[in-house]
Amino acid sequence: MTRYLARKVVIYLLTFFVAVTIDWAIPRFMPGDPIEGLLSRMKAQPGATEELTGYYSHAFGFDVPLWQQYLNFWAALLHGDLGRSIANFPTPVSELIMGALPYTLALLIPAILLSFWAGNKTGALAARRKVLDNTVLPASYVLTATPQMWLGIVLAWLFASTWAIFPVSGAYGLDVQPQWSLEFALSFLHHWILPFSALFLVAFGGWAIGMRNMIIYELESDYSNYLTALGAPSKLVRKYAYRNALLPQITGLALALGAVVAGAIVVEIVFSYPGLGTLTLSAIQNRDYFLIQGIFLFLITGVLIANFVIDLVYVVIDPRTRVGMQGGS
Amino acid sequence: MMATRRARGVGALVAIAALVAAIAALTAGGAGAGGQSAFALPRAQTLYISGNQWSPNVDLNPAKNWDYVTGLVGFAYETPFRYDPLSDKFIPWLASAGKWTSKTTYTMTVRSGVKWSDGQTMTPQDVKYSFDILKLATHPQHALWQDTGLKSTKVQGRNVVFTFGGTPGIQQFDFYRFNVAIVPQHVFQKYSKTEITTGNLSDPKKIVGTGPYAYESGVGASSETVVWKKRDGWWGTSALGLSVGPTYIVDIKNGTNAAALANLLRGNIDLFNNFAPKSAIRGQFKTYFDRAPYHLGANTTWLFPNTTKKPLNDKQFRRALAYSINMGQIISKAYQGLVAKASPTGLLPIWDKWVDPKVVKQLGFSYSPGKAKAMLAAAGYKDTDGDGYVENKDGSAIDLKIVCPNGWSDWMTAIQVIADSAKQVGIKVTASFPEYSTLVDDRGHARYDLLLANDRQYSNTPWTYYQYIYQLPILDNQTTVNYERYTSPSAWSAVQALDKIPSSNTRAYQAVMSKLQRSFLQDLPAIPLWYNGMWSMVNTKYWTGWPSAQNGRFTPTSWRNYWQMTAIDMLTHLRPAKQS
Repeated sequence: MTRYLARKVVIYLLTFFVAVTIDWAIPRFMPGDPIEGLLSRMKAQPGATEELTGYYSHAFGFDVPLWQQYLNFWAALLHGDLGRSIANFPTPVSELIMGALPYTLALLIPAILLSFWAGNKTGALAARRKVLDNTVLPASYVLTATPQMWLGIVLAWLFASTWAIFPVSGAYGLDVQPQWSLEFALSFLHHWILPFSALFLVAFGGWAIGMRNMIIYELESDYSNYLTALGAPSKLVRKYAYRNALLPQITGLALALGAVVAGAIVVEIVFSYPGLGTLTLSAIQNRDYFLIQGIFLFLITGVLIANFVIDLVYVVIDPRTRVGMQGGS
Repeated sequence: MMATRRARGVGALVAIAALVAAIAALTAGGAGAGGQSAFALPRAQTLYISGNQWSPNVDLNPAKNWDYVTGLVGFAYETPFRYDPLSDKFIPWLASAGKWTSKTTYTMTVRSGVKWSDGQTMTPQDVKYSFDILKLATHPQHALWQDTGLKSTKVQGRNVVFTFGGTPGIQQFDFYRFNVAIVPQHVFQKYSKTEITTGNLSDPKKIVGTGPYAYESGVGASSETVVWKKRDGWWGTSALGLSVGPTYIVDIKNGTNAAALANLLRGNIDLFNNFAPKSAIRGQFKTYFDRAPYHLGANTTWLFPNTTKKPLNDKQFRRALAYSINMGQIISKAYQGLVAKASPTGLLPIWDKWVDPKVVKQLGFSYSPGKAKAMLAAAGYKDTDGDGYVENKDGSAIDLKIVCPNGWSDWMTAIQVIADSAKQVGIKVTASFPEYSTLVDDRGHARYDLLLANDRQYSNTPWTYYQYIYQLPILDNQTTVNYERYTSPSAWSAVQALDKIPSSNTRAYQAVMSKLQRSFLQDLPAIPLWYNGMWSMVNTKYWTGWPSAQNGRFTPTSWRNYWQMTAIDMLTHLRPAKQS
C-alpha cells in the first residue's frame, strides 16, 4: 500500500514539476511584450514611457535574467504567491482566480459527477432494453461527438434567443448582486442551467455509450454465463456486470477530466460566464503572463489532485489493485 | 447482495457529492458580498449601461483613466471643468471660474459650498493637492508637469494659482483642466505614492467624491455589474439646479458581442456603447442621428505607413496609395454605412471650424484609381517584370503587408478592401491578422509596413491629433505616438507652437492650423480613413430625453473620460418614460 502510494506521489510530483515549468515558459515565449501592451492601453505620453517601463519591469521582476525569473517564480509559488496581474495591475492573480473559481466549480463539479452517474445508469439500462438502445444510443453518439461550445451556442440560440426561457449570458441577473439571498440563488440557477446543460449533455453521451458497450461485453463474459447457468437471477448478474463495467469508466473519468475542463472554458466564453474560462480568454488576449500562469497552475493542480483521488478510489473499488499492492498473487 | 448495495451506494454517493459541490460553489460565489440585505433594483428608476468596462471591476483609482470602474470619474469624482466638444465650450464645474491672470499664471476659483460625500468641505487645498500628486513621475497624467511648463501651484483664498515657467502649453493645460479628478486630500494622503500612481485603491468604502452618485455595490474580481446610487446633497442641485434622472445606474461588464446585443434587444440595456449592427436600429432603439452615419465620429482611424521603409518613405508613393483606397467600399462592407469618411486632414468633425478649405481643395485626396496609377508612374514606379505590380525605383519588388489585430472583424474587412484596392492600381498589398499584443510590439519597433490605429479620442484641441502624428524625438519603442516614425522637425515645431496659442486667438491659431494641414497633406505621413463611431444605441422604453442631433447635443456615451465632457448632461436630462 505504502509503496503504491509513494510511487504515485512521486509520479504526480514529477508531473507537477514539469507542468509548472512548461506553464512558466509558455507565456514568456509568446510573441509580444506585456508591458508595451500596458503602456499602449494607458496611452502613456512618450516622455513618461522610459520611467514607466522601468517601474513596471521591476514590479514584475522582468529586469532580471530568465533563469532568475524562473527561480523567483518557484520561490514565490512555494509561498503561495502567484504574482500580480499585468493587465489589471496591481490586482493579485490569486484574487482574480478566487473570484472566478466558484463559478467554474459550480459548473464543472455537478456536470462531471451528474453526467457520470446519469450516463452510466442510462447506458446500463440501454444495454438491456431494445427500445432504449435504439433511442439513447444514437442520441448519445450525436451528443458525445458535439463540441461543448457548439452545443452551448445551439442551446443559447434555442432557449435564450428564440424562446427566451433562459438568459443569454452572465451568471446572475443584472438587477441582483452576489449575496446570500433567495433572489440571487434563483437568478443564479436560472443562468446556470444552459451552460451546465452544454457540459452535462456532451459528457453524458460519452458515458452512456461507454457503459452500454461495457455491459454488453460483461454480460457475454464467462462469469456471467456461469452465473446464469447456475441459475442466478438476471438482476444479480446485471449488478455484477455493472460493477465490473464501472471500473474502466472510472479510469475514463480520470482521462476525461482535462477535456471537461477545456470544455468548460469554451462554454463559459459562449455564455460570458464569469468563471476561469472567461478569465483565461481575457488573460490571453491581454498577454497577462502571471494570470495565464496562475490559471493554468490551478487547472494543472486541480486535474492532478482529481486524478490522484480517482487512483485512491480505484484502490477501494477494485480488489485487484489492493491485491496487487500487497504483493499477493 | 453486498454487491447490489455497494453499486447503489456509489451512485448515491456521486449524486450527493454533486449536490453538495453545487451548493458549496454557490455559497462561495455569494460570500463576497457577505451579509447585505437582499435587493432587486426597481426597473423604472434604474439605468442600465454597457460598453465601457472590459477589465474586472476592481480598479478604483481615478488616475488610471483607462481602467477604473465605469463612472468613477463623473459619478463620484469630478473635475474642475467639463468640456463640451460639440460646442467647444468649457463648463465650470468644481471650479466656478478660471482665467489667465498673466502670461504665465492661471487662476482657478474653487466653487464654495461643495461637500465631499463623507460630509467634509471641499477646499482649494484639495484642488491643489489633486494637481500636485501628478508630479509623481509614474503618475499616468504626469505629462502635465513635464510638458506644459507648469512650475508650481499655490492656494490664495478661494483660488488655486498655477504658475508656469516660460510660455505655457495652454492647449495641453486646458486638457488637464477637465481631466484631472479632484480627490479628497484627507483620504488620499493616507495612501502611499505607489498606491496613488499605480494602485487599485480597491476599498469601495474609501470612494469619497463630490459627484451626483455614490457607490452602491459590485466591486470585485468576478463581478459583472457595478451599481451606483443617486446621492442626496449633490452640490449641482443647489448651485446649478441640476438633478440626475436615474436613481440607480448599473454598468454591465462587456462579454461577447453577441451576448451583449441579445441583452440590448431584450430591453435589458438602456445605453449600449459597443458596435451594434444597423439592423438593431429600429423601434425603441435609437441612435444620435436618425440617418447615416447614425453615430457621432469619436476618433479617426488612420492608416500608418512605416516611413522608415522603402517605398513608404516616399511621399509620392504614400499619396498614390491614399488615392487607391476605396473608402466607399470600406464604409458599406465593413460598417453597413455606420461610419463616415474622414476629412483628408484627419481632423474630427468637432474641429471642422479649423479645417482650411483652400488647403483641402488644393491637396486633399479621394478615391481615384486612375489618378493613383498616374501618380505612381510619374513618381517612377513601374511594372518592370510584368507581374501586374509596380516595382521599387531600383527594380526590387514591392510586397507590402497590412495588419490589424485578429478578431477585430470590422478592421479585418477594411484592410482586406485596402489590400484589394491597392492591387487594382498595381501596388502589391497583402492583409494579415496577428494577435493584438504582437501587433503592438511590432508597431512600437517599426516591424511593419502598414497598419491601422485610432488611439486619439475627442479632446479640446487638435493638438492631441498632431502630437499623435508628429511627436519627436523618435524613441527605440514608439508605444503611443508617431507609429510611422516620421521625422519632420518643422511640423513638430509647428505642433509645439500650436500648444502655446490660446484658441481664443483665432487668427494665430488658424495660421498654424493651416500650416499643419498643408504640411500634412503634402507629405501624408499617415492616411486618414474614416471616423470610428461613438457607438451609442439607446432604449427609449424606460428612459426618455436621450441626446440626439435634434435635441440635447451631448456625448451619448458611457466611455471613460466622456462623463467629464457632456455625458453627465445626458443623465441630468434623462427622465423616466411613462409606463403603460
